[in-house]
Amino acid sequence: MKLYEYQAKALFKEAQIAIPNSVRIETTDAAEEALQKVGYPCVIKAQVLTGGRGKAGLIQFVKTKPTALEAVKTLFDHPVQIPSLLIEEAIDIDQEVYLSITVDAAAGKALVLASAEGGVDIEVLAAESPEKILRYPIDILIGMMPYQAREIAYDLGFNAPLNKSIAQTILRLYHVFITYHAELVEINPLFITKSQTVIAGDGKVSIDDNSTHWHQAYENNETSFGSEAEKKAHLEGIPFIEFDGDIGLMCAGAGLTTTVYDLINDAGGSIANYLEFGGPNYKKALQAMEICLAVPSKVILIVTFGTIARADVMAQGIVDAIEKLKPNRPIITCIRGTNEQEAVNILESAGLKPLFDTEEAVLLAVSMAKGETQ
Amino acid sequence: MSIVIDQKTRVLIQGITGKEGAYWTEHMIALGTQVVAGVTPNKGGQTVCGVPVYNTVKDALKHHSIDAAMLFVPPRLTKDAVFETLASNIKTIVTIADGIPLHDMIAIRHHALAQQATVIGGNTSGIISPELAMMGSFPHWIDRVYKKGNIGIMTRSGSLTNEVTAMVVKQGYGASTLIGVGGDPVPGTRFAEMLPLYEADEETKAVVIIGELGGTMEEEVADAIKQKIFTKPLVAFLGGRTAPKGQKMGHAGAIITGGKGSVQDKIDALEAAGALVAKKPSQVGLLLEQLGVPKH
Repeated sequence: MKLYEYQAKALFKEAQIAIPNSVRIETTDAAEEALQKVGYPCVIKAQVLTGGRGKAGLIQFVKTKPTALEAVKTLFDHPVQIPSLLIEEAIDIDQEVYLSITVDAAAGKALVLASAEGGVDIEVLAAESPEKILRYPIDILIGMMPYQAREIAYDLGFNAPLNKSIAQTILRLYHVFITYHAELVEINPLFITKSQTVIAGDGKVSIDDNSTHWHQAYENNETSFGSEAEKKAHLEGIPFIEFDGDIGLMCAGAGLTTTVYDLINDAGGSIANYLEFGGPNYKKALQAMEICLAVPSKVILIVTFGTIARADVMAQGIVDAIEKLKPNRPIITCIRGTNEQEAVNILESAGLKPLFDTEEAVLLAVSMAKGETQ
Repeated sequence: MSIVIDQKTRVLIQGITGKEGAYWTEHMIALGTQVVAGVTPNKGGQTVCGVPVYNTVKDALKHHSIDAAMLFVPPRLTKDAVFETLASNIKTIVTIADGIPLHDMIAIRHHALAQQATVIGGNTSGIISPELAMMGSFPHWIDRVYKKGNIGIMTRSGSLTNEVTAMVVKQGYGASTLIGVGGDPVPGTRFAEMLPLYEADEETKAVVIIGELGGTMEEEVADAIKQKIFTKPLVAFLGGRTAPKGQKMGHAGAIITGGKGSVQDKIDALEAAGALVAKKPSQVGLLLEQLGVPKH
């Protein structure tokens, strides 16, 4: 679960990492007072969860009141709904550093990533100049030691007196990573000011989705949805992505669903939506079909091959859902796995013609979507 | 032959008195697995499927010799159960829980490495040597998937395992041992770590890996082939080849991989190492034939 910049910075502040002075506003009316408090020049930053805000024009640097008010208005009128803006003092920057903590899956450790070239897209830097990113695995059973943080700061090229404040920032960021069960904490850029202080210019915190029960304050974070279907899927906990193709997917299991997605693309078809109702959601056929039907598509393709997610339970769920929702488009079923003979009986008695081969089902769906098969 | 588990492996079940634990214990025994003891705190003295239940792993070890532990324990209690088992020096552990907190998995992985133990999972169906034994929740009675044979199979995804393995079986092959390493970003065991066992197992004539987008496990397999740690034929099938960039699709992969982790990167790495990559599930069995892998 991603946190907004202002939420991340609040955690940084709590951990005594310096952040710029700022005021957050939710309406244009609040702008004037906020700008007066922060002063000029300042930076107006859209609080959205998507990356690449700078390139998208969602961060504006302004020097005067009229340009600031104009920027606030433009951002609140933006087609992408922006729930709030952070108005932040501009910092006199001498250098920008990259700092993050994530996971080293192979070693079973936390991983500090640091670069003396901050402010850039780390994935791009990693692909083009991996040698510029320093990597330090940290044993979480021991915790991060101050000497490790000092070493990182020296490796980044910082000697006294900055070494101390940068090392301190790294230790404090590690504290946030552990306390908030994060999969990622990132400061990019970390500003080194002309007066040789260290300030977090931006903040990213992403809490592990399996640990959100410890951090329920953020559970309403994902409130902006592209469609009603997306919102419903989110509330049901059903993985769902909407596209603009012809075939609605209603599959079980992440691996199988991505594979069906590939097979449709390979066969020249197009996907209306990705929906995966396997695992803990296998009894939610009704909800899954309701979401699928909310998306324009020509055919719905149901593919499952379940183990604990029993085929007969899924088949019964699908038959009940069809009865209740009376779908206005053809439905192709390919349901295999535990108790599949019972599943076949259930589907056939409801007038469906179950298939057994995924690739055959995909070809049928593609041909039906193109109007070649009825 | 098989790897990690066979009919001689003496298995302890943690969480044996739970609904899921009891259900799958029955199936594990039906397949031939030697389930010798169960553990559930405060349920000591009961029996489940004729298996005696103890309060602690330590208690169970006073009465039985145990080679491996199977955990039917909720995700948030998994770390405790794994550490209890490792503290008793049991070196093979399977955990199927879906939803283990990330930091718990980091600790589990780290501790297991330090103890030179093998923790398989979570977010998996476990491990099965068809017709011999299993630790996990596989519907072993579906014989067009779970058939004994000479192919080692490793997978990150349950649903896709059935899909691909059914195609391997359709072509006349079967599995020596099938291992679900699981779909979590930090699995307890990684693909490449099992390759030396398959290499050493005389019965295993080839390995199939069923991968996905995200992470670097498939690239590590390519490295193991290049370094001749694994020299038998290897066929891979990978889901998510056409997934749009930046979409969270499939299981969670690694968070920052530095430009790695796309399915095309994995295909390139595997092919460069000499492995074959199937474009469709139905090709996996055909590619094994093409490589001349014997069926018996």
